[in-house]
Amino acid sequence: MLLLGIDVGGTHTDAVALGPKGIEAQVKVATNHDDLLSSIKSALSEIVQNTDASSIKQLNLSTTLSTNAIVEGRFEDVGVIVSAGPGLDPHSFMLCKDFHVIPGSLDHRGSETKQLNNLSLEEAISSCRKSGVKVYAAVTKFSPRNPAHEKEMELAIGDNADFITLGHQITGRLNFPRRIATAFYNCAVWRVFNKFADAISGTLEEMGLGHIKVNILKADGGTMPLPLSRKVPVQSIFSGPAASVMGIIALCKITHDSIIYDIGGTTTDIAIFVGGTPLIEQEGINIGSHPTLVRALKVHSIGVGGDSAISILEGIVRVGPTRVGPSIAFGGEIPTLTDALIWKDSCDCGNIGKSKAGFAAFASKIDMEPDELADKAIENAIDKIHDSTRELVEEINQQPVYTIHELLENRRIIPRKIYIMGGPAKAMKMDIFRKFRLSTEVPENYDVANAIGAALTRTTTEIELFADTERGVMFIPSLGYRENVPRTYNLEAAEKDAMNHLLAHLGEMRVAADGDNALITASSSFNMVNGSTTVGRNIRVKCQIKPGVVRTYS
Amino acid sequence: MLKAENSLGIIFFPAYDWAISPTHPEREERLLYTQDQLREEGLFDIEGIREYKPEVAETEDIERVHFCFPEAEAIATRSHYISTGGAIKAAELVMQGERDRAFALVRPPGHHAMKTVLGSRGFCAINVEAIMCEHIREKYGQKRIAIIDTDCHHGDGTQDVYWHDPDTLFISMHQDGRTIYPGTGFPKDAGGPKALGRNINIPLPPGTSDAGFMMVMERIVMPILEDFKPDLIINSAGQDNHFTDPITNMNFSAQGYAALTKMLKPDIAVLEGGYAIQGALPYVNLGISLALAGVDYSHVCEPGWNPETLKESDEIMKYIATLCESIPNIYFNPPAKSNEGIINGDWSVRHRNIFYDTEGFTESQTESLLLCNECRGLLKVQTQKENGPMGFGIEIPIGACDKCRNTGYSILEEAQVKSKYRYMQMINRREKEYMRYGF
Repeated sequence: MLLLGIDVGGTHTDAVALGPKGIEAQVKVATNHDDLLSSIKSALSEIVQNTDASSIKQLNLSTTLSTNAIVEGRFEDVGVIVSAGPGLDPHSFMLCKDFHVIPGSLDHRGSETKQLNNLSLEEAISSCRKSGVKVYAAVTKFSPRNPAHEKEMELAIGDNADFITLGHQITGRLNFPRRIATAFYNCAVWRVFNKFADAISGTLEEMGLGHIKVNILKADGGTMPLPLSRKVPVQSIFSGPAASVMGIIALCKITHDSIIYDIGGTTTDIAIFVGGTPLIEQEGINIGSHPTLVRALKVHSIGVGGDSAISILEGIVRVGPTRVGPSIAFGGEIPTLTDALIWKDSCDCGNIGKSKAGFAAFASKIDMEPDELADKAIENAIDKIHDSTRELVEEINQQPVYTIHELLENRRIIPRKIYIMGGPAKAMKMDIFRKFRLSTEVPENYDVANAIGAALTRTTTEIELFADTERGVMFIPSLGYRENVPRTYNLEAAEKDAMNHLLAHLGEMRVAADGDNALITASSSFNMVNGSTTVGRNIRVKCQIKPGVVRTYS
Repeated sequence: MLKAENSLGIIFFPAYDWAISPTHPEREERLLYTQDQLREEGLFDIEGIREYKPEVAETEDIERVHFCFPEAEAIATRSHYISTGGAIKAAELVMQGERDRAFALVRPPGHHAMKTVLGSRGFCAINVEAIMCEHIREKYGQKRIAIIDTDCHHGDGTQDVYWHDPDTLFISMHQDGRTIYPGTGFPKDAGGPKALGRNINIPLPPGTSDAGFMMVMERIVMPILEDFKPDLIINSAGQDNHFTDPITNMNFSAQGYAALTKMLKPDIAVLEGGYAIQGALPYVNLGISLALAGVDYSHVCEPGWNPETLKESDEIMKYIATLCESIPNIYFNPPAKSNEGIINGDWSVRHRNIFYDTEGFTESQTESLLLCNECRGLLKVQTQKENGPMGFGIEIPIGACDKCRNTGYSILEEAQVKSKYRYMQMINRREKEYMRYGF
């Protein structure tokens, strides 16, 4: 039984086939930016040639398709219809031209405080129709507490849309501006992503792989089944760094607070593990300049990588943040961090002779010994990595908590171990060790850790349950589930319901539901008091399938 | 993308596991809907606005300000240490220049806690703002500080802590004490003999709304601040002047609070009371936060807000206008004598009975200030909780003269020898020595 993992990265597309004993096949091909499918096809066909196709059970795919579409602005026009009520001016969140604010509002408990203005809604839809919009995002403030207004909008849009995203379906977490941005991007890449999904399915059929289950990687270190991803393509963005982090989990047994570096060509990604678990971004990642509610592993990127150019500014040797071209070792003009590592004999790649000659020539031009230049360049790169890591850890340790217990019990993160992967990983290991004085490890197969991570990542999902016993309702926004509950409904019952719905949801996605990986991440119950009598309870429960890998090779 | 004009740090600590009692207004859920509103607005995504974790205050921070009997740990819970630590964090953010302004959205509150504390009164145990201000002075040197209390209840605790301090201007605007707890806060209280005109009380009639509050700001608060020229402006940002508050009778709104904040420009705001947790707090806190940050707040209003029906009558406006005529005089031409205390030799002595409503006991207290021409004067307090043991506190103030300092220590020594007191506390701000005796 084989599990395939493919990570389509900026420069390379990596693919692995994993059997019970480890890697059975691995491939690295150049990524064709304008035709990602062809890169996937060529990686796949090479894997299939080297393995028994009938034993392949699953393909997990991490792709930059949605990310590229967004970054390069190759997406379609979206009609964004919002209603806000009191608070910040909703026009501050206008992120496209077909943006309409409809009078109407709900409060923080989900009570309607102002009816949705149907006339204004009709006008907005007709204006969108005139500009040829075919996909719509409908988002109201506090819709995770009550989706009624979003549903009214959906009804009114009706046949005008090929696809509609309703804000509350994305997540039950609160943040109106982020919900607008997330729903917008989900619509914007919907068509391009679905075309791609069709093409993938077609390709697999052609290759005799029609039987395998396909999952798409998400940025939170989990996967979602292909059929589900068609409705929430926005969740597929920025999955690359997560694939690498999950790879490290599969390759190393991480138990301490640790730092993970993925040193690439242009950037170094820094991730932090607490105990053995990767940290998740509290709210969601930024797409462009817009913060969203897309859940992601906390990965901090800095502009230092193997291809980062070396420059001198006011007598100080600097590395990055720009990438001017490839290293001299690979035919470039300007010396890079990789060339400095080659000069110090730490790295063996590309054209060594040419690299060293070019590096020495550059050094003499600026009147410096090449040895000194190389040392200073490497030191500068390590310093940047070191300082950013300190800042990141400090920022995480400063994260707010809300109860006395949490504040007093709150332990600080103190990294004890470093794991490095990516091209220059081996070459920089000793320099990083000398700077940090922490045990430093470079796992075997570090160059395909990303594809391994992709292959082994399991399906994740999170839900939020919200109950108001004064009103007698329980509601799970992202599932669109609503139920009447008795006044006696309590936290214990809510936790049970949340877990059951989480597992049932996995079942619907045809994922083997493993109760062991399901956990409650937050749970609270507040008495609601009117005058001096308790009138009900306000209950919130969050639970998730925690990110993880199906097996490890450490 | 929205951007804050002034960078703002918010210390949000709702203490979701602390309440006075399950149905008490000061309970777990008090800031729940505020949190929902701030999150849903995406407040912390606005460039320049950041959320911070509170610190935990040290016992020394408390004992620098209060005479606590039997001891600080017995009066302040962990929650008080954190809420005070939240205000200290706010101060540090501003003092170290990391943020232009800061808002400590913390509970429990503190403005009813007086100089001497034997327990909890008015939902308060220790004075959050005073502890913060004295932390600032201890660490960053003597500052001129103005504390503007906009809670609906008279800030009798803060008034008491700073009664003798000429470097702290305390202005409290509140619902008239004849109609509400704690029943004090009248213009005649102008400060102690060494700080006359530094305590300004503005008792407002029930029903005061936005126009009334703004008139007070324009005609009383701002001209006095302009003259006092404080290094720091602190706002005790109680929110119970709100028209929906269940335990008060005022008609102030979120728009009003935001406009007041915009005019006052406090460096640090600290949450005080406010118990309309669903109808007011989410909107008022949002309004104050946006006003502090200099972000447009014109769309922040309560669902049931109707400025026309909330408007004060002409009668009320006329009454407030007369207050605006007379009250500035208390600052600009302070009375020659304090309204409290009788002169006994070199000492100005006040005897008081103080009721602790939250816990239901009465303190009997004698406070004496040594009238000194060289400095603010030595302060001593003798206190007894009903028939309980006696406590004794001595404070050598910042900038104390040698005579007051030495007198302080000899009184302490004498008190120890006589062993009349079960508990004794010495606050020596001059040498930064804080000591307690007895247990």
